[in-house]
Amino acid sequence: MGVLANRQGTQQQRNIQEPCGKRWLAGKWQLGGPLGPVALRKGGPRLVARTAADFRGSRMGRIMHLAVSLDIASATGQTSLTFAEIDGFVRKAEAAGVDMVVISDSGPNGEPSTSPFEATTLIAALATATEKIGLVASASTLAHQPYTLARRFASLDIISHGRTGWNVTTAQNPREAANFSRPEGFSDDDFRRRAREFINIVRLLWISWEHDALLFDKASGRFHDPDKMHLANFTGEFFSVRGPLNVARSPQDRPLLVMSGLAETEFDFASRRADLVLLDKREPSDARAACDEIKRRAYDAGRDPMTIRVLTVADARPERDGGILEALCRSSGCDGIVLAVQPRAAALEDFVERLLPELKRHGFAETQPGKTLRDRLGLGEDGRP
Amino acid sequence: MSARQMKLGLFLWATGHHIAAWRHPDAHVTAGIDIDHYIALARTAEAAKFDMVFCEDAAGLREANVQIASQTSRSIGFEPISLLSALAAQTERIGLVSTASTSYNEPYALARMFASLDNLSGGRAGWNLVTSASPIEAANFGATGLRPHADRYERAREFAAVITGLWHRKAAGYDGESFSVRDPLDIPPSPQGAPVMVQAGASDDGKDLAARTADVVFSAAQTFEDAKAFYDDLKGRLAAYGRRPDDVKIMPGVAPMVAATKAEAQAKYDALQELIPDDVGVALLSSYLSISDLGRYPIDGPLPELPESEGMKSRQALVIEQARRDGLTIRELARYFAGARGHWRVVGTAEQIADELQARFEGGAADGFNVMPSWFPGELDAFAALVVPELQRRGLFRKDYEGRTLREHLGLKRPV
Repeated sequence: MGVLANRQGTQQQRNIQEPCGKRWLAGKWQLGGPLGPVALRKGGPRLVARTAADFRGSRMGRIMHLAVSLDIASATGQTSLTFAEIDGFVRKAEAAGVDMVVISDSGPNGEPSTSPFEATTLIAALATATEKIGLVASASTLAHQPYTLARRFASLDIISHGRTGWNVTTAQNPREAANFSRPEGFSDDDFRRRAREFINIVRLLWISWEHDALLFDKASGRFHDPDKMHLANFTGEFFSVRGPLNVARSPQDRPLLVMSGLAETEFDFASRRADLVLLDKREPSDARAACDEIKRRAYDAGRDPMTIRVLTVADARPERDGGILEALCRSSGCDGIVLAVQPRAAALEDFVERLLPELKRHGFAETQPGKTLRDRLGLGEDGRP
Repeated sequence: MSARQMKLGLFLWATGHHIAAWRHPDAHVTAGIDIDHYIALARTAEAAKFDMVFCEDAAGLREANVQIASQTSRSIGFEPISLLSALAAQTERIGLVSTASTSYNEPYALARMFASLDNLSGGRAGWNLVTSASPIEAANFGATGLRPHADRYERAREFAAVITGLWHRKAAGYDGESFSVRDPLDIPPSPQGAPVMVQAGASDDGKDLAARTADVVFSAAQTFEDAKAFYDDLKGRLAAYGRRPDDVKIMPGVAPMVAATKAEAQAKYDALQELIPDDVGVALLSSYLSISDLGRYPIDGPLPELPESEGMKSRQALVIEQARRDGLTIRELARYFAGARGHWRVVGTAEQIADELQARFEGGAADGFNVMPSWFPGELDAFAALVVPELQRRGLFRKDYEGRTLREHLGLKRPV
């Protein structure tokens, strides 16, 4: 068993069964069972069962994760949420066992926000006011450079003691480029290739430092072990980044990589890279098909499908009740749901007072609170290259 | 109190400003991965009524030589806007100023980040504009080499104009040399109207940009004469931009070492100096001189002749002048600068330090000071416990906050 997996002794406590042990061998992850390493081959590691249902696990008695998504951008003329309102809402969601809140700050079509806050700075402030709930922020690959964004989320992960995630999309927001000195924008294909490259760089920078790189040895004068600090030396089509990151390895190794707004063409990439996929499907049957497809592709890429979680997005509208949402979750075949709450004080209150207790009665938000967001989701540390 | 009072900033820097700070027996060695450390420092500064805490920043390692870097605590730390956003929720009154580069950001994105920090803190944010002089940073942003000094400042001027246009709600739509922005800023103004603009460049380009745009200027000056010359020069440039001398607060850095007696303070300082490895001291000096191979000269010999660098022009001049004036060897100079990184060092009792600060403040060489404790938390605690009350007793520093926003603390106008 690899050192990484055993570092915090959490491997044994997880309720997921890995089909094969993973080990760091010859510079890359190898999959291997108790009898030793097996070569990673196309088609994935050898497993007996290979139908889509096997990737979903047993339907009944399975944990249904509950995330809340809050797009703080509110239309002009509406009263924006204050920090106290958002903070109060997130604390109540935390107390009720909600796994994470996903915060974004621009309307679905890129309409200008009227919120006083930007998502990553907002979750930094929320991080010191909460203890258990996951804090995921959306951030654009156009607004920032990969090195800067990698620093920001690694810092947020340290500030929150391992509860942070980055929500990223490879779909272009049509209004955005013009505010970031790219009036001509990108073709959708260029944008997607650029976003993938961006994500790959960020993931690489996040593991610049090995777990035990920092020595803090005052007597010998060795602050860190230079052999355990790694350059990225990345040169791609759109970016070149030398590294290393100047932020330490974060508690989750890598902050959770959340992907949303996925076109089907992005399933391959997401199935390799994402820790969590948010599916924006109207019909449960579509969500089920997409969820199965993403997990199947993860398997085909040689990845344990249990290391990726898929949640389906639903609106927290007044007519929704716990039973409807449980049925929706179960019929979607996903690992849980993301409830989109309107950024109005009354909507937040309705969610907390009315819907949340119902959701708990129907089996949501029963996750054993772990130390990190990955723990909550039953995901391991992410040392994947 | 109607008399003019000095402004105080706390310059946060991981384990402390001294290069060997992290090796001090009582230094908080895990500062770079411990948010509680920073919360505690900010609260100490707030209890002492400091105007602001300030985070320096670089988007890359500080030191190219990995062996040297591994003997310092400066290769890892928090990204400062995230750090200050967390501090915003844990403090009430103190200003929160972060550095960010005009070379590696987009104005619209940075305008949003700082506007959000400004709102999260109820109007306590400031932005320290830097152009980024390090080739190590450049390599993290696809650049094969550092841009020439003049180009960086051209971009910085444009960046500052665009970001203040966004913050001050000037007409939307900008299309210029380096940047274009279509929409107005979508984040409403904070109670102080817009984040405070801070700058520290001391080159001619830097001073000119500061005179145009800055509310606060940080500087480095060893002697009273240097500090006075810088102060008069910068204030003298303001009229050309339709600004009054009081519109900009000039706050030189000061690295104090305070104790009950001068001998005790000196002993504390000497003990810290002993913890600097020679190769680290020389490397640090090399980096301030923007040359990579100072190590090949005899350590006990004089500083060699140096070409003018593209990196930090003003700081290089300061270092060279210091060495020539004092006839220092490379080793002596390295140790001298390692202690305060070229800033003004004052070692003594609270009264002696207050005397020095008062002389520069009343002598027209400073509006306040950016305080750089040698190690954290001890030397901040000492300054807050000993020097601040002495300044208060003399009526030179506030006993309580007069206002709620950073602009109010600094006595700056709200932007129109």
